[in-house]
Amino acid sequence: MTPQAQVVEVRAGRTRRRGRLIAAAMVAPAVLVVCGVYAYPALSTLAYSVSKIDLSPRFRIEGFVWLRNFINQLTDPHFWQATWITIYFGVMLCLLTVVLSFLIALLLNKTFFGRGLLRVTVLLPWAVPPVASGVLWVQMFHAEFGFLNGLIRAFGGEGGIIWLGGSTIALHSVLITEVWRWIPFATLFILAGLQIVPKSVREAAAIDGAGSWRGFRHVTFPLMLPVVVPVVIFLFVWAMKVFDTIFVLTRGGPTRGTTTLNFLTYRQGFVQFDFGNAAATAYLLSALTVVVIAGLGWMLARSRKLAGM
Amino acid sequence: MAALVGTSAGRRLKRVLTYGAAVLVLVVTAFPLYGIILTSIQTEPDIRSVDVAFVPTYIETEHYQRIFDEASGIPVAESMVNSLVVALATAFLTVAIAVPAAYALHRMSVPGRRIILGGFAAIYILPTLLFVLPLFIAVVQLGLYDTYIGLVLPYTAFTLPFMVWIMGSFVRAIPVEVEEMARIDGAGLRQLMFRIIIPLLRPGIFAGLLLGFILAWVEFLTPLLFTSDLSVLTVTLGLFRSTMDIAIGQLAAATVLTALPVILITAIFQRNISEVVTAGVER
Repeated sequence: MTPQAQVVEVRAGRTRRRGRLIAAAMVAPAVLVVCGVYAYPALSTLAYSVSKIDLSPRFRIEGFVWLRNFINQLTDPHFWQATWITIYFGVMLCLLTVVLSFLIALLLNKTFFGRGLLRVTVLLPWAVPPVASGVLWVQMFHAEFGFLNGLIRAFGGEGGIIWLGGSTIALHSVLITEVWRWIPFATLFILAGLQIVPKSVREAAAIDGAGSWRGFRHVTFPLMLPVVVPVVIFLFVWAMKVFDTIFVLTRGGPTRGTTTLNFLTYRQGFVQFDFGNAAATAYLLSALTVVVIAGLGWMLARSRKLAGM
Repeated sequence: MAALVGTSAGRRLKRVLTYGAAVLVLVVTAFPLYGIILTSIQTEPDIRSVDVAFVPTYIETEHYQRIFDEASGIPVAESMVNSLVVALATAFLTVAIAVPAAYALHRMSVPGRRIILGGFAAIYILPTLLFVLPLFIAVVQLGLYDTYIGLVLPYTAFTLPFMVWIMGSFVRAIPVEVEEMARIDGAGLRQLMFRIIIPLLRPGIFAGLLLGFILAWVEFLTPLLFTSDLSVLTVTLGLFRSTMDIAIGQLAAATVLTALPVILITAIFQRNISEVVTAGVER
């Protein structure tokens, strides 16, 4: 190596190191904020979950209680009730939203007059702030002068359904609200996927004598799985976190019928001010979410392989 | 059915089905929105009538005037100003932190790049309340309870990981050749950033500002837990505070005004939003 080349080499090394330093400096603020607002609190919550905490007159950790907060939860029937409600809510939200969105996406994938208008309209519920959508669905569900009962009466029914009255029906009313809110996102995502699945593939299937349903079942659907599974992951994560709608529509009632684990955490933390148990519940909910997402991620990897992506 | 396809009767049937389905979807998605607007322009007795009217016979603007009255109890105008200030601050702060981070993560060598990007995505799996419990304590202890900063900081943090991802997709769309050309011409990093990258990123930065604004505007949990004073009331929290009120018409009017900015932005930039989602699918 000539001396000149050596100089160039050293300089290049120095610039590279400098470049890396600058790059790190550019990422640092984002990483610091995220550590400060996610990593540090997540660890604090972990500490809370094994502590006895006193909040009045001021915040104080009174002592280490091992896993007592977790055992409290796992032996509490209310916790299990909330767990089953959460799982049911998550599964139903994913199922209903994906099926309806798939149908709407198939429709929007056709060419017809007014498709542009429909595309914009389908997006709109997504743009409604969750609290606002809660308020407007309260108006839809109102037992006396709500629009849904009014609609039923207009078609000759009795229209006396108390939508937010019983714990089961209230849960499904919240579900309707959330499905309505998430159809835009799922539709957009699936539609984008449909436009990637080459039309020629579907046409070839049609020529081979596959009817609409069979073409869908054996060609479109398997090819679409790698697109549908991420949507399901998104929706499930969202379902685990849903708060605003429940807060505005039912406050977790009646008789805990709409109290999901997330809402239970809120109640324990900010209604009962029992941070120890709230922290334990938050971690149990996190564990549930992570396990389900890991399962879905495995499915995604498999479906990608099957679809040859 | 299969035999019908291709014949003109079959095609007509298909067409009718398509339009029928289109109308159904249109009605189901738009009806709740239509309902709240309808409620906001009817008189209180008509809203509370069991004979639900589906078509307005008059337009009553009283509710809209009332909610801007000083005496109405819920300071809607002030809450809009509060939300505007907080949402703008959040949008600019988030984008200002996210753009350099996204650029460095995608175009420079950052140690632990994959871990950082993966961590930013993984955060969203966990429930927000997991982080909010200690943040609440911190906000109270730092004296940030009931302040703008006590809202802007959590909003920024909650939006940031997502924003870095979105900005990353825009950064990756910039051809590497452009940067190499600039480097050959002797441009330093600062020149490269301000003369080349940021101008090229302008559509992305604009989209990011809109997104940051919307996410902060609609946020509910943070103001619910971190504020209680009416002087820092946000629009979304105002809606909840007024659900305790008895005036449904005014609540509907306030709801329409809260949703309107976001709906307008979404409708106008519908194409850009679709593009971001489409880019997500293709990846």
